[in-house]
Amino acid sequence: MPRREPSEGCEINMTPMIDVVFQLIIFFIVTIQMEKEFNPEIELEDSRHGPIVEGEQDPRTIEIEIDRRGWISIHNAQLSRARLREIMKARFDKYGSFPVLIRADRRTRHRDVRSVMDVCTETGIWRINFLAVYERRAEERTR
Amino acid sequence: MRRQGDTAKRRRKGEAAKLEMTPMIDVVFQLLIFFIVTLKQEDILSHLDVSRPAPDPNAVPEKQVEDLLNITVYEDGYVLNGRPVALPELDRHLTRLASFSKSISVIIRCTADSPHSLLVQLLDICAKAGLQNLAVFSL
Repeated sequence: MPRREPSEGCEINMTPMIDVVFQLIIFFIVTIQMEKEFNPEIELEDSRHGPIVEGEQDPRTIEIEIDRRGWISIHNAQLSRARLREIMKARFDKYGSFPVLIRADRRTRHRDVRSVMDVCTETGIWRINFLAVYERRAEERTR
Repeated sequence: MRRQGDTAKRRRKGEAAKLEMTPMIDVVFQLLIFFIVTLKQEDILSHLDVSRPAPDPNAVPEKQVEDLLNITVYEDGYVLNGRPVALPELDRHLTRLASFSKSISVIIRCTADSPHSLLVQLLDICAKAGLQNLAVFSL
């Protein structure tokens, strides 16, 4: 059995490992989302029986967030009730009736949810969807 | 000069030029670990559909339909047709009613101070029973 030269070192074939590692990195780069698309402070209530929100949604859908103090935001950008009304009106004039999702915190008082629903009905939208958590996969937050 | 001469000699011997792999692998692993740590799985969400009748009280059809179920959501619980009920009991009622007809109108009234979680829990058991005809009013 030939002895290895001490300076040569043990050589493993690196190529497949580097291939796999690059694949993983590209996967993570593509899937990463740096910015939150919604207000991360909002804690949703559980709902095990509601229909699941599918990945592919109607592109006209608007998602209105209401935090526990009753502040309204869309895509984590806070706005006033008057501004929300303008946005809804503009969207309604453009598309007609469109789906509305309400992401309200579980501790929100109904009067704040009501004010948003009233804006919807003023615009002419009668169907409203409330978002809830079907299955928790993110790390558990202390309640 | 001597070093250059050495490499030139080695090249000439047919040995492949070696790329220094160690720093690249270090960086790549750092990146990989960063991405694994920052990856966060999103919750699966469900949506609960309700209809919101007009805020105008004249447009509300009062006692128009026979099959009507009135549930009021207060700050601390539910009242079904004038009687306070707990959620499991309400669940049983709704499941039994839904076994007769899924098209029963359920009218949910919420007081201004009731938390949103109670409404969502109620809508959840309505979805479980399969009731489709839900209307939410605000008091």
